[in-house]
Amino acid sequence: MNKSDLKVITFLAYKNIAKSKTTFFVIVAVMAMSFLSITFFAAIIDGLGYEFEEGMIKTLTGHLVIEPSENDKYLENTNNLVSDIRRIPDIVGVSQRIDSNAVATHENIQVGIPIIFINPEDELRVSSFSESIVEGEYLSKGNNNELIIGSELLKSYSGENDAEKKLDAGVGDIIQLSFSNGFVKDYKIKGVFKTGSRFGDMNALMTYGDYEEVFDTSNIASKIIVTLPDRGMEEEFKNKLIGIGVKDQINPWQTKMGTVEQFISSLEITNKITLIVGLLTAFATIYIIIFINVTNKRKQIGILKATGIKKEIILGSYVLQSLIYGVAGVIVGILMMFGLISLLTIYPLKMPIGDVIPILTTTKLITTVLILVLASVVAGFFPSKKAADDNILEAIFGG
Amino acid sequence: MKNIIISAKNLERVYTTGIIKTYALKDISIEIKEGEFVAIMGPSGSGKSTLLHQLGLLDTPTKGSIIIDNEDVVNLIESKRTKFRLEKLGYVFQSYNLVPELTALENVYITSMAQGMPAEEYKKKAEDILKRVGLGERLNHYPSELSGGEQQRVSIARALINKPKILFADEPTANLDTASGDNVLSIFKELNEKHNQTIVLVSHEPEHAKIVDRVIWVKDGLLDKSRK
Repeated sequence: MNKSDLKVITFLAYKNIAKSKTTFFVIVAVMAMSFLSITFFAAIIDGLGYEFEEGMIKTLTGHLVIEPSENDKYLENTNNLVSDIRRIPDIVGVSQRIDSNAVATHENIQVGIPIIFINPEDELRVSSFSESIVEGEYLSKGNNNELIIGSELLKSYSGENDAEKKLDAGVGDIIQLSFSNGFVKDYKIKGVFKTGSRFGDMNALMTYGDYEEVFDTSNIASKIIVTLPDRGMEEEFKNKLIGIGVKDQINPWQTKMGTVEQFISSLEITNKITLIVGLLTAFATIYIIIFINVTNKRKQIGILKATGIKKEIILGSYVLQSLIYGVAGVIVGILMMFGLISLLTIYPLKMPIGDVIPILTTTKLITTVLILVLASVVAGFFPSKKAADDNILEAIFGG
Repeated sequence: MKNIIISAKNLERVYTTGIIKTYALKDISIEIKEGEFVAIMGPSGSGKSTLLHQLGLLDTPTKGSIIIDNEDVVNLIESKRTKFRLEKLGYVFQSYNLVPELTALENVYITSMAQGMPAEEYKKKAEDILKRVGLGERLNHYPSELSGGEQQRVSIARALINKPKILFADEPTANLDTASGDNVLSIFKELNEKHNQTIVLVSHEPEHAKIVDRVIWVKDGLLDKSRK
């Protein structure tokens, strides 16, 4: 193929597209919609997965969780450790917690509930509990004989079909808690929180001050939650924690997802199936449109061949047209996608787990772009090759 | 003495459908000299267009040989046949067969562009030829904006741009009114007389026999030697 061949290829492709603007716009619109249908649904699912993970990070795990070694039940001397961690530059927040359980009793209903003892002020930089109060108020410092309770533990927040045993209590009500050491006391519900993360909202929160009263112990923790400036920095900060002498287990949030991870993996599998089905549909659509387009140009292809235009030039011009359709469609699709993402960033989708913003990863964007462009070229190649290989007389006169 | 530019010997073209064989051409041998204006004539279905398609390398005979400009063209590989058509042959079809997406000027210069001629040169050549066939004012019109006669003149200009050794015309006036048809034929006559252009014309109109140098009569796929 020489320079003049390429010139004729470009010229014929340009003239065909310029003279058939309607065909061009229809094909580009189909390509753009195919791109959008593939990427938008995938982006919603990714956004949903991200929101699930964020729910866990902002309630139970932070970005890093420091936990006792296998043989120990608690981390010791945690007040100093928390202070040391807080001095590491760029750490956003550090909070120690103690996980416990109690049997809650209210109006003859008894329910076992998980209790997390926290320092309310430290939690402000680590978790979303304080921002998720839907009734009443957040906890204040000290020993106040109060608790805040997750919406998943209350009957008033459960759905119609939810048969789980729940407390029929609200803000201001007194509930009695019986702890594992036999300590029993009445506590007032100060607030109700609803983070959107079911795993977070299944807990009640109390202060470290109350823990000391119940268990007569201080300066220990079940875990220390560390919040970093962003995801992806876990390894870097884990090394920094080791650097300041942390000898306990330091686990990134990914290792703590449990069933959430399974759920997200299922979403990702669904996403991949959707992607494959979407791509196949897009490929079939593009193939049919380009096939019809090329079939309608069969006579023209015959004429060009008869006048001595090389088969390779004819094939090249149709493949180039398909490439232009593919690239133009993908560009329009990307613009529409970014428009939609921008819109949904301002007005997120309201879902039970919280506000979901679609996420389009660069890898997914590039993969979809490449596959769709490739699909359009392949879809253009085969019908064009068939037409270019046709007998000249059959192409011109039919048959 | 004029050179022989086309020499076809024992041409046979058989179309096979299942076990049925249809002979479109049977053992045809002809010679055409350089600068000759020849008409291939005969009744409908006689095989005249089929013969033209074999001579013009638009089809391949099932048997026989064709020598054009001292080259055995039957056995050329496809890419060489394409190049041969581009450089040495020109075609005018009954139904014009212009590329609808190209203007008159572009339809004419596309083959020169494919030959690698500089843009200024092929545009000038195409413009000159279109002016010669009386379409100087219609250069940038698309085929759909031209009358049948005008489209056929564009088709002639396209056939001539690469200065073909032979111009093949397959019933070029069949779709035209009398005036346009006469105009096309007068262009052919002028090309032949003034520029010594070899022309092979397929026609079934008896009056065309008067303007050509020689008529090759075809009947039932055979040369009709009873007519001269």
